[in-house]
Parts: sequence; C-alpha cells; structure tokens
Amino acid sequence: MRRAPLLPALVFTIVVTQIPFLLTIYYSLQSWNLVRPGSQHFVWFENYVSVFADSQFRGVALNTIIMTLGSVIIAVILGLLLALLLNRHFIGRGVVRTLLVTPFLITPVAAALLWKTTLLDPTYGLINFVLGGQTIDWVSEYPLASVMAALVWQWTPFMMLLLLAGLQSMPGDQVEAARVDGAGAWAIFTELTLPHLRRFLELGIVLGAIYLVNTFDAVYMITQGGPGTASANLPFYIYQRAFLGFDIGQSAAMGVVVVVLTIIVATFALRLVFRSFGAAGSES
Amino acid sequence: MAEVVFDQASRIYTPGAKPAVDKLDLTVTDGELVVLVGPSGSGKSTALRMLAGLEPIDAGSVRIDGRDVVDVPSKDRDIAMVFQSYALYPAKTVRDNMAFPLKMRGMGKAEQSKRVADAAELLGLTEYLDRKPKALSGGQRQRVAMGRAIVREPRVFLMDEPLSNLDAKMRVQTRSQIASLQNRLEVSTVYVTHDQVEAMTMGDRVAVLRDGQLQQYATPSELYDHPVNAFVAGFIGSPAMNLLDLRRSGDGVTLGGTEVPLSRAVRDAAGSAETVTVGVRPEDLSLDAEGVGSGIKAVVDVVEELGSESYLYAHMAEDESTTLVVRGPGRTTVRYGDTIALRVNPDAVHSFDASSGERLPG
Repeated sequence: MRRAPLLPALVFTIVVTQIPFLLTIYYSLQSWNLVRPGSQHFVWFENYVSVFADSQFRGVALNTIIMTLGSVIIAVILGLLLALLLNRHFIGRGVVRTLLVTPFLITPVAAALLWKTTLLDPTYGLINFVLGGQTIDWVSEYPLASVMAALVWQWTPFMMLLLLAGLQSMPGDQVEAARVDGAGAWAIFTELTLPHLRRFLELGIVLGAIYLVNTFDAVYMITQGGPGTASANLPFYIYQRAFLGFDIGQSAAMGVVVVVLTIIVATFALRLVFRSFGAAGSES
Repeated sequence: MAEVVFDQASRIYTPGAKPAVDKLDLTVTDGELVVLVGPSGSGKSTALRMLAGLEPIDAGSVRIDGRDVVDVPSKDRDIAMVFQSYALYPAKTVRDNMAFPLKMRGMGKAEQSKRVADAAELLGLTEYLDRKPKALSGGQRQRVAMGRAIVREPRVFLMDEPLSNLDAKMRVQTRSQIASLQNRLEVSTVYVTHDQVEAMTMGDRVAVLRDGQLQQYATPSELYDHPVNAFVAGFIGSPAMNLLDLRRSGDGVTLGGTEVPLSRAVRDAAGSAETVTVGVRPEDLSLDAEGVGSGIKAVVDVVEELGSESYLYAHMAEDESTTLVVRGPGRTTVRYGDTIALRVNPDAVHSFDASSGERLPG
C-alpha cells in the first residue's frame, strides 16, 4: 500500500505505452489498408514475412544504422575536441561555452529547417556562399550526409558537456604526477585522459544512439527521406507506409520489428554503461 | 646523485602580494635527505613544487647539479615525486603504474620489467603487481607511489607529505622504511611535512619555513638546542617549548615569584627591554621533590600519563593566564588540581627578544 500513490502514474503509463503496443501487435497480424475499406482480415505473420522480404526495408535499416552511429561518433569526436578546448582557461570561456551549447537547445524541427534553407539551399545557402558562389544542391546530392550534418550539429554540444564534466572530474595530481614522470601532452592524453573518459564516452555513445535511432524531424524536414528512400530511416519509412501508403498492417509489423531490435540493442548498451559506472562507483 | 640549490628562489602568486616563497636559499648536498617543515601556508609545498617544475619560479633560480632548471619542464628535470594523494593512475595496474616513468623515457620492455620487479621486491609489492590501485590498502598504495619514484633512479626524490594519509602506526613504520631506503639509494631527497616529529626523525637537515621565509636550516639537534627565534623554538619539539614573556628583574626574569637567572651576554643583548621571551622545554622544568616547597607554584589542569613519562599541563598559581607544560616521571602521583612546585634548569633557558622573537646571544 505504500506505493499506492504511484498507481495513477502507473496506470497512465500503461494506457499510453503498453496498450498502444498491444494494439500495434494486433494490427500487425491483420491485412488492413485504409484505401480499401472492408479489406481487413487476419493473416497471421504474413506482414512480418513481407517486412523481411522487403529490400527497401533493409536499405532503410542500413540507412538508420549509418545515420545513428555515424552522427553519434562524429558528434563524440567533435564534442571531445571542443571539451578539451573548453577545459583550458581563456578569457570569455563562459560566453563561448554558452554559445556552443545553444544548438542543443534549439527545437529539432527548427534546427532542421535552419540547415535545409539557411545553410544548404543551392541558391542562397550560406555554405555555397562560403565556398565561393557554388550551386551545389547538397540536399539532393548528399541527402544522408545533409541530415547527418544537422544531427551532428545538434548533438555535439551534448557530447561536449558530458565529456567536459568528465574532464573536470579528472584529478589534477595525476596529471602532475605524469608530467614529473616524463609524459608530454600527447602521452597524458592517451595514457590518462582517454582511460578516464572511457565511461563518459560510452555513456555519450549509448544515450546519443538511443535518441538518434528515433530521428524523425530532421529526415522529414530536410529530405522527406528522398530522393527515393536514400535518406529515409526506419521511423520515417514506417510513417510513410502508415500515413502515406495507409498500409496499417505492414507498418505495424515494421514498428514491432524495430521496437524489438531497439530493445535488444539498448539493453546490451545500457548494461555496458551501468557496469562501467557501477565499477567506478565502488572505486572511491 | 645530485646537488640541489635554491638561489633566492621566489614564487609570487599575485603581483604585489606577499610571495608564497620568498627568496629561498637552500642547498641540498648529494645524497642528503632534507626536510622542509612548517605550518600550513608556510610555502613548503610550493617550494617543492617549484623544484618539481609544477610551479613557476618567478625570481631567483633553482639549480640541479649546477644546471639552472627555471625554464626546464618537469619531464626533463630527471626528478621523481611522491604525492600526498599518491596520484596513482587508476586505470593502470600496479605494474603499469610503476613502469610508466620508464615507458615515458622509451626504455625497452625487458629492462622495464626487470626494474619494476626489483623495485616491487624491495617494497614487498611483488604479489600485487597485477592489481589496480583501488584494490590496494592505503599503505600498499603509498608503496606503489614510492616504487614509481624509485624505478626511475632519478637525480632527486621529491616527497610531498607522503605519510599524511596513513594511520599512526603505518606512519611510524613507513617513516623509518623511507629513511633507510633513502640511505641505501643515496639519492638526494627533499621531503615536505607539517609534522615536526617526521622532520626531526627523518631529516639529515631540516629547513623550517614560515610565511614563505626560511627561518632556520640546520640539523635536527641544532634546531632543538639552538633555535634561532621563538617561532622555531615553539615549532620544534613535542610538547612545544614553554614560551613566556617575562618581566626583567635583577640578573634575570621573574617567573611565579622566583627569579630565573639570565647570563650576562643575554642581559647585555636584551639592553633596556623590560621584558624578555623566555623559553623552557618541558623536560627542563623539574618537579620539586618536596611537593610544595620553594620553587615556582603552579596548579595542574591536565595530566597526560604516557607510562614512561608524563606531561603536566599547569597554570601559574598567581596568574591563571600563564600556562606551562612540565615533563614529569612515569606513573606520576600528581592529580588534577594539585599544586606543584617547579624548578627551572638555568642552563637550558632559551631567551628571545620580546618584540622581534630573535634569539638573544649567549
């Protein structure tokens, strides 16, 4: 009874997450296209079979992996470089830090629009302007890279903050000891800083991947998944099948497959992170 | 094997403010263990860090074997340092911690493991070589920090309060281990501590610092017998020397109604000053056997019984604000509230100028 006050929250959570999930599973076993009223009937696992037979689905799955891991890894590398710079003392550090964090605070839709129109537009985009009046149509020639650029831009500050916190928790006396022991700046970075940052890097990669695997806004705003499905990821592809193709059964089956795969990957990733932080906790 | 010279070395954190280390002159001869001791804020750690290259030398110079190291980075000074926190590398095993300075100097793997094995043997760490620092006790971590310093065979060892994180028993044990290790290795060592017992027991010579200034640099017995000023007199020795500002009278000073004679030289040096700071160590005050006979009368506040001896903390019978520490015999019968009579050993009286604190000659 002590936990009774939590009950409304629990009921709410079940209503908004578990019931839709069960309904999705139910839909995924139906052949049901909204364009053909009255066509709804039970088909067992036919939808799942066609999901795995769908070469577009596989291509989109690959896009999702490239988009998620690529963006996260580039954001981590850039975030690490910026964190190393911000970890030094210089005049105006507070201002610089605030400015560097702002991309993370911008609504993803607004950020995506900013990239699509202000930066990447072939005629009046700033990137072409800086490149000396080029007219490269970035969004159609490099669709996946364009979406990833916006994602990296938004997620670098997050990685930077996380790694900056890690750098600032590094004991100064270890660095001093290493200097006396004859280590130069690079040796200190590889021998001390990187091992110290390991668990912060892991956490950043896992959290970033969990968020970015669900990316929708950027894809929708910048490329609409196109050309074709060149820049579509799984959430966008499912959306297309459900709300543009009106194929409820197919898209529900894809949704279930994606959720199950995500849960499996996320479980392993989170376990890794909690293990390294748990071990660190018992250290002190 | 090296001689270390501080030549007017200064560290000024903020221009215009008082220097953290003020024109320090100090020479550590080859193979000597020199202890820098002083209360917190005395600049002893700063001085050590200047030698280590972790603090800049703002004025003057520091030389190691005649080479001015002011502009030489830490890694090229050929020194090894033991930190108060040990500063072990948490992600590395004991073996890799100890091998780190060798690796940084590009030593071959075979030579590295031989040296690490030798040092581990010497320090009794052989069975812990594959552990991470977090799996070690405080004493073991301390020895790893020592090991990391000695594998290098550096010119100079620097130790910054290496024992202060150990418990009392470990501290005494490790103290003598470090001293004997240093004797064996014959490497010049600069050792920083705030603990005057460590300073007295370990140092070939001891430098007493206060507010960034060197007070006295001498052997432990010289410091104890001939402190140059009232600060050193009060800092060295435990319990501390009794330092009393006493009024002149006749050929000496008055303490508790009796006269403590001062030598002619002291009286001449004191000139016309009305008071003199007189220092008497607890062991130079003796209990009058009669109990309350002649002598200086004092009332006991606290009795510290140590078995072989005892320390009596007392205040003067006629002046509550003047307190004294007296060393008494072991298993003393004196109790709290007793009135005791004291005699001063006149040959062991230290006299200091009451205003400057400088020792009065004689």
